[in-house]
Amino acid sequence: MTVIKVPKPPKSAMNPDRPASSLLKTQILHMQEAEFRLPVQQQTNIYINRIKTEREAAEYIRQVTAQLHPEGATLVTDIAAMAERPPHPGRKGKIRAAGKTKPTRKVSAKRKKG
Amino acid sequence: MPPGIDSLKHIVVLMMENRSFDHMLGALKAKDPRIDGLTGNESNPDAAGAVVKVQALAEFQGQLDPDPDHHFPGVDLQIFNGDNGNPRVPNMQGFVRSYFQQQHDAQHAQKIMYYFTPDKLPVLTTLATEFSVFNRWFCSIPGPTICNRAFAHYGTSFGQVGMNIFEIRVPIKSVYERLDQANPRRTAKIYYFDQTSSTMEIVNLLQHQPQLFGTFDQFLADCKQGRLPDYSFVEPNYNDHDSDSGALIASDQHPDHHVQAGELFIAQVYNAIKQNPDLWSSTALLVVYDEHGGIYDHVPPPACTPDGFVAQPNDTGTGRAFAFDRLGVRVPAVLVSPWIPKGTVVDGRIFEHASIPATATNFFLGSYDQRTPREKSAETFLDLLSLSTIRTDAPEFQVD
Repeated sequence: MTVIKVPKPPKSAMNPDRPASSLLKTQILHMQEAEFRLPVQQQTNIYINRIKTEREAAEYIRQVTAQLHPEGATLVTDIAAMAERPPHPGRKGKIRAAGKTKPTRKVSAKRKKG
Repeated sequence: MPPGIDSLKHIVVLMMENRSFDHMLGALKAKDPRIDGLTGNESNPDAAGAVVKVQALAEFQGQLDPDPDHHFPGVDLQIFNGDNGNPRVPNMQGFVRSYFQQQHDAQHAQKIMYYFTPDKLPVLTTLATEFSVFNRWFCSIPGPTICNRAFAHYGTSFGQVGMNIFEIRVPIKSVYERLDQANPRRTAKIYYFDQTSSTMEIVNLLQHQPQLFGTFDQFLADCKQGRLPDYSFVEPNYNDHDSDSGALIASDQHPDHHVQAGELFIAQVYNAIKQNPDLWSSTALLVVYDEHGGIYDHVPPPACTPDGFVAQPNDTGTGRAFAFDRLGVRVPAVLVSPWIPKGTVVDGRIFEHASIPATATNFFLGSYDQRTPREKSAETFLDLLSLSTIRTDAPEFQVD
């Protein structure tokens, strides 16, 4: 059986501070569309127009997806599946895009109905 | 029926991002002339009319920055090079001109013609040469990600040629809903990488049908434990981010993400299936790219059966309506199964992303009418599982 070695990318490949691509910007817009349909208390306090970097986009995406699909946060107990990931000191990078003021957003249908 | 089809229980689709066939697999023509790749003489004119040839100089990261234009008007220029005749014949001569428009840097614009040597892409190259590679798999629309991925989920983009949120038009259902609502019920899941990467199918699928979704960690666990659904769609990591388990580099290969990270991800998906012998013998894995990302390919996209929708000139941005009667640029596509003869080159047949729901629906549901004419006429690919005896020589990928 042939074994093919697959090199890992260098650590320098990681650049969460690069500008968010058009794909990520689109994903954010779609996320916002979904977010505004959530109950207000589940909505983020993030003004997406201030999202510039991949890091900021990632944090917004994470917060909205956590509301849409909380099951996605389930930790995997399969150690073998996790073994391929490199160790890291921990999460960092607070999103800078949280604004003190936000544009008016839609009130969810539930709240409208009272 | 061939034993490979008889024993088939699972179809897995991994859709990567924004690379053309010639860019990733074009160099394989030198190794196998049956593969419709590059001779080295293919070229495009630059903005001044000088000839720019293809070159084997693609690098993993840092070249295709800015991200090449892959929206409908830009791709129109790439395919037709400004031809406004009627009818128009695709000439694939506008790629350098298109990339030049983004920075007006003639030297930089030439990089759109660069391609990878096989040694730089050991995973994709191995899968293409060990199993099957499609000479004619095109993206469904000469445009960007969202509408192309829609064809993989619905067999149509409901008239969208861009990145806008599209409205589902009943009675067309996603392939996941078709399986989920079938009698007897079949199972389907979209595995996104993690919550920080999420899915590209947010508004229509994640928002309304979260039960269809899982994470990549769950995919790995499901493979190991033999719980994979009938049909799985896997999404790579779309962004660089930190996690509790460490730094996670984007693995989608969308420029300017590192291509090796995508190779690693493809290997992980393959290994997860292969390392469970029962799963390996009963699964067909399709690795395909959603669109060409604005990068050069030499094969003109053919006309195709329309899907019943029309995009108006205001939406296309080209001044012309689009009747979804021509495919997009060619993308890499490989089908993996131990029931596929080694070195299969699929030629003479046109495939596109509607082939995905067409194949899954035909296999798991049989007759199913509520689909677009496009999907109904799409080629399906399970006939490639043609061996009478299962192979035992499949390679393994060792991740460093």
